[in-house]
Amino acid sequence: MEETGFHPDLIHAIFKLEWSRRSLEREKNENPDAMDCEVDAGAGTSKKSRPMSANANALKLSSKLVNFSICAEAVQRAATIAEAEGIGRIEPTHLERVLPQLLLDF
Amino acid sequence: METRMEEDDSASELLRDRFRLSTISIAEAEANKSGMEISEPVMTCVADLAFKFTTEQLAKDLELFAQHAGRKSVNTEDVILTAHRNEHLAAILTSICNDLKAKEPQSERKRKKAPKKDDRDRGAVHIAEA
Repeated sequence: MEETGFHPDLIHAIFKLEWSRRSLEREKNENPDAMDCEVDAGAGTSKKSRPMSANANALKLSSKLVNFSICAEAVQRAATIAEAEGIGRIEPTHLERVLPQLLLDF
Repeated sequence: METRMEEDDSASELLRDRFRLSTISIAEAEANKSGMEISEPVMTCVADLAFKFTTEQLAKDLELFAQHAGRKSVNTEDVILTAHRNEHLAAILTSICNDLKAKEPQSERKRKKAPKKDDRDRGAVHIAEA
């Protein structure tokens, strides 16, 4: 499991990118409202100047979360369907059949 | 503005490719475990699914949870909280979290606050182990 899992640094880089994008979007959305509530805007800019970070254990844990919840689970469920059909190869149709329940579960 | 968007896009594409590679290796390992072959479209689908899950759901949830708690950094508790809809998964994550904490409970905390002290502590640990 350790060898094939995601590297926490990769997850961190993805998180950073997403968080910086979201903070940019928020800035855009809040700029028109900045005139209405000056106190909130002041608090907001101080928050944006320091972006969200994550501690090492949290990153390890979230890489495990993605690993278990999506990758491993999707493949295993599709494998069960393929096995029931007596086919030794997981095809897109098998994934299609497990996808709705998978998306509901996670 | 456009150039910034392009930079973002190229960065995210690079990350997506790296992410896809790891997903494919995980998917292959899982398929081998159950003695099945796995076709390529399935692997790319799973990779995209996992990437979307990470960026759109997980990153957003973690940010919001940490903000709600008034923190500037994401905690292990936030990660466990994102899995609260699936009790089994939450239980697995809690046990992994406990394992991680048991491995290095002190050095993890001190690394951020006092890096200099951390080195000394580590040295002490090594000597004790030796």
